[in-house]
Amino acid sequence: MPAIFTVDPRSGVPLYLQVIEQVKRAVALGTLAPGEQLPTVKSLALDLTVNPNTVARAYRDLERDGIIETSPGRGSFVRANGAPGEALRAAEDVAAALLGESVRQAKALGLERPRIAALLEDVLGRWFPEIGEE
Amino acid sequence: MEHSIAIRDLTKRYGDFTAVSNLSLEVEPGSICGLLGPNGAGKSTTFKCLLGLARPTSGSFAIEGKALTPATFESLAYVPEKSALYENLTLAQHLEYYRRCYARYDAARAGELVEMFKLERKKKVGRYSKGQRTAVALILAFSLRPRIFVLDEPASGLDPIFQRLVLDLMIEAAAGGATILFSSHQIGQVERAADRVAILKNGTLVVDGSVDELKTTEKIVEAIFASAAPDIDGLASDPRVRRIERSGRIVRAYVRDGSDAIVKRFEEFSPRDVTVMDLGLEDIFLTAVDGRDATIPHGDQP
Repeated sequence: MPAIFTVDPRSGVPLYLQVIEQVKRAVALGTLAPGEQLPTVKSLALDLTVNPNTVARAYRDLERDGIIETSPGRGSFVRANGAPGEALRAAEDVAAALLGESVRQAKALGLERPRIAALLEDVLGRWFPEIGEE
Repeated sequence: MEHSIAIRDLTKRYGDFTAVSNLSLEVEPGSICGLLGPNGAGKSTTFKCLLGLARPTSGSFAIEGKALTPATFESLAYVPEKSALYENLTLAQHLEYYRRCYARYDAARAGELVEMFKLERKKKVGRYSKGQRTAVALILAFSLRPRIFVLDEPASGLDPIFQRLVLDLMIEAAAGGATILFSSHQIGQVERAADRVAILKNGTLVVDGSVDELKTTEKIVEAIFASAAPDIDGLASDPRVRRIERSGRIVRAYVRDGSDAIVKRFEEFSPRDVTVMDLGLEDIFLTAVDGRDATIPHGDQP
């Protein structure tokens, strides 16, 4: 069975942050449904071939952020109550980071704010045509 | 918490040559610690001193809080760089020898591992390739289900598939509570399997910390200016800056723990762009051992 997440150990992004991002993305996309069980620390560590303490740290942070809940002896689950809100927040976290990086690079290329805003409108029009077209 | 492995102030001299200098390293239970360093940095010497196979010039060691005795080896497995095997015995005979010598030898586990490494039981070990000999040594070590593993280049001579298998075995053991100290030349193995990395250079520990923590703190801040990069006062002597590279309109600062502050310094000079770049373990390793930076103080080091 393929691993449900992928990580890039060679990246400079700490592995536990990559695992957190992957879980948030899966919750946001619904590939992990509210109430669904996550792999155990050991099985995810083996699936990804990464250190078990790294996975355990990611799960602790996800629990602290209210994305998952862990009950001793049963395992870790995507939080069922209020999960749509958490999923939306998780999606926003991921998207904000991606958009932020794009805008930063556009600014670095020397574009002024109105020009970047116009470009963003163009892009939005392409992905949400029903709003742009009468 | 009691350390699984503790090395304190190890110094080992061979005549005038100092192989290891004042090295202290502690590994916590359930942790995988990867020891990196160029050839001759002192990795194998450290292992030999730790396990009583070489006499340290000074220093002390503890395994699970106790000094080393023959009883220590009931919970510890060591796989040396050059595996100590019997050339004229077959793999089956090695396994039988272990079954007779060690009450904790797990024959079922050994059988699984032999299958995994696809080895012929009836072949004399002397006729095995280097990688296969490494596999035999690992099979014997893992069949004893020790609490502590000391592995000197455990994947040397193995092809990428079996290298991955070795990492999986280490990860599985650590998930079950075992502690592993291993050396490697392959940074990618340490980057995956280890939660802790120690980097040796000329017998001195130059980096010691959590892999994720190092990736969090070690950054390159790159600023691009509209014209020639300005001379930024005090940047080179800033304790957070370990190295500066300049080239025309670009300045790159290698920063530990404080990239935000360095970004602000650059922004005072109105750059076109400032980017904070992450560093992989390979870059961290090369920066640590390339000689431009003799010692890097880190974390709980005095």
